Amino acid sequence: MKSNNKRKLKKADFIILGLAAVLVIYIVYRIKVTIRYEWAWEILPKYIFRFDDKLGRWVSAAIFSGFIMTIKLSIWGIILGTAIGIVMGILRVHTELFGRVISRVYVDLIRNIPPLVLVFIFYFFFSSQILDNLGLEELVKASGPVIQSILTVIFIKPSLFNEFLSAVLSIALYEGAYITEIVRAGIESIPKGQWEAGHAIGLSRYRQFRHIILPQALRNVLPPLSGQFISTIKDSAIVSVISVPELSFQGMQVMASTYASFETWIVITGLYFILTFSCAAFFGRLLQRLKAAD
Amino acid sequence: MNSKITGDTIISTKNISKTFSRDIKALEKVSLEVKQKEVVVIIGPSGSGKSTLLRCLNGLEEIDEGSITIDNTPLDGHHHNRLKIRTEVGMVFQNFNLFPHMTVGDNIRIGPRHVRKQNQAEADQITDELLKKVGIYDKIDAYPRQLSGGQQQRVAIARALAMNPLIMLFDEPTSALDPEMVGEVLEVMKDLAHEGMTMLVVTHEMGFAREVGDRIIFMDEGKIVEENSIDDFFDNPEEKRSKQFLSKILHNGGC
Repeated sequence: MKSNNKRKLKKADFIILGLAAVLVIYIVYRIKVTIRYEWAWEILPKYIFRFDDKLGRWVSAAIFSGFIMTIKLSIWGIILGTAIGIVMGILRVHTELFGRVISRVYVDLIRNIPPLVLVFIFYFFFSSQILDNLGLEELVKASGPVIQSILTVIFIKPSLFNEFLSAVLSIALYEGAYITEIVRAGIESIPKGQWEAGHAIGLSRYRQFRHIILPQALRNVLPPLSGQFISTIKDSAIVSVISVPELSFQGMQVMASTYASFETWIVITGLYFILTFSCAAFFGRLLQRLKAAD
Repeated sequence: MNSKITGDTIISTKNISKTFSRDIKALEKVSLEVKQKEVVVIIGPSGSGKSTLLRCLNGLEEIDEGSITIDNTPLDGHHHNRLKIRTEVGMVFQNFNLFPHMTVGDNIRIGPRHVRKQNQAEADQITDELLKKVGIYDKIDAYPRQLSGGQQQRVAIARALAMNPLIMLFDEPTSALDPEMVGEVLEVMKDLAHEGMTMLVVTHEMGFAREVGDRIIFMDEGKIVEENSIDDFFDNPEEKRSKQFLSKILHNGGC
């Protein structure tokens, strides 16, 4: 992209930079002089990785396993949320009124309750009433060690299976509502003439959608969709309230046992930033490539 | 011209009416018969229902009253009938409506592949033939946005022909084109007419109408005002309204 913006700093920029510097100095001053915060960075590393004497090798400790858990939650949340969003987004513009109503109710319902409440609903009702009755957790626990270790790698250890499932489902449903609206907007952005041209050569409604509308719509929605994926990573912190050991939950645990609150949250912030920033960079590249291919 | 028309009636509409929301009468009791191999030119001021009439004929718009029969198949509620008519009636739009994410070749192949269920080789052969016919075979791997308007419209014609239709509907096919590209599209359409394609053409190209049209229909306010042979219509129109319209468009020098 060509930019005509001048790179030179203007007067206003200097004022803003100056104010930011003052703010930083003030914060440092408060921490050092008023709070007299005693930095203890040295206790943190063992909460990231620790050396296991029995195994004789380094293993991930609380913070790093939380980091991995956040990645797992995000990936499953994004996959499921996108699937829900595409299906609901298609229903949203469906010719059948029934589909439109279902999708509309879903979107309005989810967008009008706080995500925190959604997580609790899922955990206390869905997990304890439905999942328990399905006996999924027992099934997992009863399965062989090989299956269990595979499940542990791609999901979570068997004892937390219900929590993980409620967490992923609530994240997916929450993000799905927003993805639904993105997909709807993408479909509606395609001119009516495209449907009509498909109709005129005799394509079924499904094939008009599958071959003509969807490929164009998906390309249009990629920028807002990537933004929603990044939101998913950040929003996943909310499931810490149901004890899923993801990054924020582990942060709280480490803070409770070390009292190194500043150090812990600085590290946690950094880790979230690494995730979201690399995700943004990945999609930025992808979009540029698609643009270049045009 | 009329000598070539010996076939049976292929399109028949009886008293079709169409009302859009807010009581805008787009069509009011339009009855029309078109014979095989006939080229019917439809003219009229904007909003007169010309496009709506074409769009009703392939089911893009639902009619409120009356009946449409195409090649002895009624355009009714039966899915099978509607599909048959859609595949046998080709349509060319004012804005081409090519699929921008597909190459020229794929734009043409999609119908034969997914509707006619032809295999790749058959579809490829038809695509090659048609692109040669409309004179842009060298653009087979290009994307629509890389083509001029005239080329895009020729691709759109080829796309419709790939379904091997009995009837072709043209909805102001040259109205969105730069003047120097009108000719190349009209040439393709003239060739089609000479090959005996049944055509309904909404256009303001009076030269085209005179050259290949068999019959002209003048519409206004959703009704057919005059239906006449080409020569009589231009030289001696029956209706006052037709005269007014003709004097306007001929006076404006274009067409």
